[in-house]
Amino acid sequence: MMRLGRNGPIVLLTGLILLVAVAMPALSGTSLEVSRYLANAIGQLAAFAVLAISLDLIWGYLGILSLGHGLFFAIGGYVFAMYLLKHSFVVTGTVPDFLQFMGWKDFPFYWAGFDFFPYAFTVAVLVTLLVSGIFGYVSFRSRVGGVYFAIITQALVYVAMLLMFRNDTGFGGNNGMTGFSVLFGWQMGTSGMITALAAGSLAVLALVLMLCRWLVGSRFGALMLATRDDEIRLQTLGYETLRLKLIVWCLSAVIAMVAGMLYVPQVGIINPRVLSPELSLEIAVWVAIGGRGHLVGAVIGALLVNAVKFWLSSAAPDIWPFILSGLIVLVVLVFPNGLMDLAKFRLTRPMGPKRMAEEIGEARP
Amino acid sequence: MSLTALLVDGLTVRFGSFRAIDDLSLAIDYGEVRAVIGPNGAGKTTLLDVISGITRPKQGRVLFDGALDLTQTSEAAIARAGLRRKFQKPSVFEGLTVRQHIAIGADFGFRSRLDTPALDDRICEVLETVGLTEHVTRLAGELSHGQKQWLEIGMVIASDPSVLMLDEPVAGLTDEETERTAKLVRALVRHDRAIIVVEHDMDFVERIADRVTVLHEGRTLFEGSMDKVRADAAVVDVYLGR
Amino acid sequence: MKLARLTAAAGLLAVLLFAPGLRADTLDRAGLVQELCGDAGAMGRAGTALVATAASGSAEDRAFAAPLARAVIDRKLGCDDAGAVLDEGGLDAITRMPRAAAGTPRSPLLSLKNRPVFELADAAFALRGAPAVAQRAAALKTLERRPAQIPEGLLDTAAAAESDAGLKEQIDTLAQTAALNASDPAARIRAIGRVAENPSRRALTRIAALESDPAYAANPEFRAAVDAATARIERGIALGDTLATLYNGLSFASILFMAAIGLAIIFGLMGVINLAQGELIMIGAYVTWLVQQGLRVAAPALLDWYLVLAIPVAFLATAAIGIALEALLLRHLYKRPLMSLLATWAVSLFLVNIVRVVFGTQNMQFETPFYVSGGVPVIGDFIFTWNRMFAIAFAIVTLALTWGVVRKTPLGLNIRAVTQNRDMAACIGIPTRRIDMMAFGFGSGLAGLAGLALSPIYSVNPQMGQNFIIDSFMVVVLGGVGTIAGTVLAALGIGQINVLIEPLWGAVAAKVIVLLMIIAFLQWRPEGLFAVKGRRK
Ligand SMILES: Nc1ncnc2c1ncn2[C@@H]1O[C@H](COP(=O)(O)OP(=O)(O)O)[C@@H](O)[C@H]1O
Ligand SMILES: [Mg+2]
Repeated sequence: MMRLGRNGPIVLLTGLILLVAVAMPALSGTSLEVSRYLANAIGQLAAFAVLAISLDLIWGYLGILSLGHGLFFAIGGYVFAMYLLKHSFVVTGTVPDFLQFMGWKDFPFYWAGFDFFPYAFTVAVLVTLLVSGIFGYVSFRSRVGGVYFAIITQALVYVAMLLMFRNDTGFGGNNGMTGFSVLFGWQMGTSGMITALAAGSLAVLALVLMLCRWLVGSRFGALMLATRDDEIRLQTLGYETLRLKLIVWCLSAVIAMVAGMLYVPQVGIINPRVLSPELSLEIAVWVAIGGRGHLVGAVIGALLVNAVKFWLSSAAPDIWPFILSGLIVLVVLVFPNGLMDLAKFRLTRPMGPKRMAEEIGEARP
Repeated sequence: MSLTALLVDGLTVRFGSFRAIDDLSLAIDYGEVRAVIGPNGAGKTTLLDVISGITRPKQGRVLFDGALDLTQTSEAAIARAGLRRKFQKPSVFEGLTVRQHIAIGADFGFRSRLDTPALDDRICEVLETVGLTEHVTRLAGELSHGQKQWLEIGMVIASDPSVLMLDEPVAGLTDEETERTAKLVRALVRHDRAIIVVEHDMDFVERIADRVTVLHEGRTLFEGSMDKVRADAAVVDVYLGR
Repeated sequence: MKLARLTAAAGLLAVLLFAPGLRADTLDRAGLVQELCGDAGAMGRAGTALVATAASGSAEDRAFAAPLARAVIDRKLGCDDAGAVLDEGGLDAITRMPRAAAGTPRSPLLSLKNRPVFELADAAFALRGAPAVAQRAAALKTLERRPAQIPEGLLDTAAAAESDAGLKEQIDTLAQTAALNASDPAARIRAIGRVAENPSRRALTRIAALESDPAYAANPEFRAAVDAATARIERGIALGDTLATLYNGLSFASILFMAAIGLAIIFGLMGVINLAQGELIMIGAYVTWLVQQGLRVAAPALLDWYLVLAIPVAFLATAAIGIALEALLLRHLYKRPLMSLLATWAVSLFLVNIVRVVFGTQNMQFETPFYVSGGVPVIGDFIFTWNRMFAIAFAIVTLALTWGVVRKTPLGLNIRAVTQNRDMAACIGIPTRRIDMMAFGFGSGLAGLAGLALSPIYSVNPQMGQNFIIDSFMVVVLGGVGTIAGTVLAALGIGQINVLIEPLWGAVAAKVIVLLMIIAFLQWRPEGLFAVKGRRK
């Protein structure tokens, strides 16, 4: 029933992602082998791209800006770190640093079972759904939206950061968790493992991209856009927009959680700084730069911004904040649809001419 | 099904200390087209807001079909019960196509209950009625003001509502477009449907309305046929005479 | 209770009446020397006289008697037929004229019973007369060993004359202990009453110790006095703690208010949350620092007044930044509040980093002028500190200023008009864009003032803005869009709740609970405390 729009760019991008995912392991051992550093960077970029998609889903397609998506990213990251530490402990007997630091003899009771990945994954999904579900329900029910929602989510992630900075929570506190040695029984840090993680992340990215593409192209996706454009109009046509928003919000949170899971084994550390409001704001910047409401845009935005950041943080770390703020101002003032304006091609549907200049679904609550 | 589609009973709506609707009571029957007229700020839109659940009254109730108290029902549930409304300010989804609008209007729920051929038929039928057949694949944001008005009407009639509310359906339309709208409204009359039209255009009202309610400062000033309205001194005083 | 007070008052009166009389008695110097050379009984009497002199003798008598006590202890007093000589024959003990001893002088030996009396007298003289603080402190140590023997009045006069603040406080403490342990029950009861007059945790420990005193079981009057004092002190402490909490909450609320009021005005007017507000606070603090440095160079005499002199500078500097921000950036983002959010974040990022590059990341050093240092102890352990008072007073002035501008000036009238209905305001000819700019400048200037008020209390560094911004969001969300009253109430509420919860579960828990409470509150009033429900369609 839907006009699908031009599918070209997204198919192209997915193909490219899968190609890289296949090529990296295939080329290992040949003269074209991807360096460990590059492979690791590609893997991390893929995790960020997944994170950007999760935000684009609710901001671009539902008009709800979350400035607290780092929270769900962190849930995935922390749970995966717990799995890695517990697993490493079971396999090699290494006692995690933070236990020694706190002078604890044993893992806290809630670490039980975390060496079994399916259990850890289930816990991560449930916690994400619980947090996003409760928060989303109370916010959407009282019609909190727009700027209000944005700053309350930011307060949420900030408070979570303060909480995780405490050392007595059993999640590593200030120093976080690091020293992962084994993943699914394999030694970490080897070239093979790095390539495998990167390829795996790319595969997940492609999967998430296709899933979201399918979702936004469905009747449900049309309803998402309708909610964004005029929520009350849609409600007075008989749709429970509260439920719709809640479903998309929770889905988005789970995708962000998965991104966190991909991220942690590749950087080898997690600490409360992933919960800093800055990271959550940066996600919004990736999406804005790439182009809100375009999945391809979100992916490209995340890849570009982070690639520049990786490169600069070794070359000239002091300049990066200035470049980032300059980029934001540029995008916000000159290219309201981000790179999509620059590229002058529309990947899904263009926003209506009026809506190009004016955001939707931002009416104050 | 009772004869009365909507029963408004002792309704009061306040914004701060201001009474936008003041102890208003009225009944609207199935099968009729009821025009609600009155000067700006009389409370017409507010009345429709209460009926569609967007504004909650301070006092009073609104019974649909003699049973469902709309003041206690959510917007979506009211719509699902068969009450649809076109807003005063054209409200369409700028990022969706004309076809998507009608598909959304024809059905509710996240997955369509109609199968594709049935839905296609319905969409064609509605687009035919509102005259937007050749714009089926265009985005709503690209339509003209009049086309948006019709698109919204199409969207709200697509589900065959039992109560249809139209808030200023011909505001800003050309004479010819007004004429077409009047025909459309009359064509929508059915014995099991009540139509409420809020409008300023007296000629239009005269063409479509079976009965007219004149609101003034949140109260009923007059109720009856259009001829009698024109003859009523009080109405002429506050409204028509100006 | 009442009786005890009456007795105490009567006793005090008696002391006041008779003390000058006692002092008027001049010392019988010759008699004293004679007794010093007498038998143990006579020496005992002489010792008591010395102690009395130390407590209430005239300055000359004390100067006369002090060397005698010392000499007896050191066995340097030589008794001979003509009386006695000091320093083994240097001076006559009575006239203090040089004279040689007649014959072989005998130096009297202190009995075991008399020695403490003389030591007491010696220490008492030293406490009142020794030139060095260390000597007086050593004398106090000696006295502390026998609190029960210290003559009444000695410590009070010594404390009154003491110039060293620390020692003075120690003397006062000892005076109380001495009085509490006096042998006369009436004196003890009076002392208990006096201790209870300044309730604090230390006073409570003191009085509580008396419950194991034998007199507590034996003497019902004593017991009643102790119990009454305990109750009174406990009430005082509770009151003091409550006041301290309220005071801390109030000062925190003042900071919150100042950080949030600019935010609230701008949000009400344009629907924009300025994420750079925290950085404007930071800039305000840095400007204050610059003013301080400028004064240090240009007018050191005025250095202490830098906090006051910086007020216009901080306001204008941040207002200018705000106006530039509005004119260059936000103006173009009209009706795109989420994009404005990102844009203001970019500005905040820029400001933090530019300050970091220019000034470094360390905390800035601020002078503490006299009007923000120290405080007045009020009751219990509550100290009314001036730096907090400065913040509170500053917030009140800011509130008055804001209220005045919004309610009494043409600009304020226009701000209110545009806040309520922008389109209508534009229709009747209000230059809405200019109002936006001015209001943005005003709101930013208020942030600058907040930074100034913060500088004597918090550490000033490039990151400081981030500590306030989230709390001030919460104030705006809770208070409602663009209302001064809402902002004040919300700041008070959040400030007090934070301070109340903090001692129970810690600062982080306080933040968590405040956030949860705000989310819960929004269930009930989504528009915040003060906002008329608007039409949603
Ligand atoms: N959300 C609101 N807050 C305050 N006043 C309102 C609100 N909605 C409507 N009003 C006032 O109620 C009165 C009735 O408005 P409305 O029902 O829109 O009149 P009309 O008959 O022109 O449709 C008007 O004076 C309007 O200003
Ligand atoms: Mg109206």
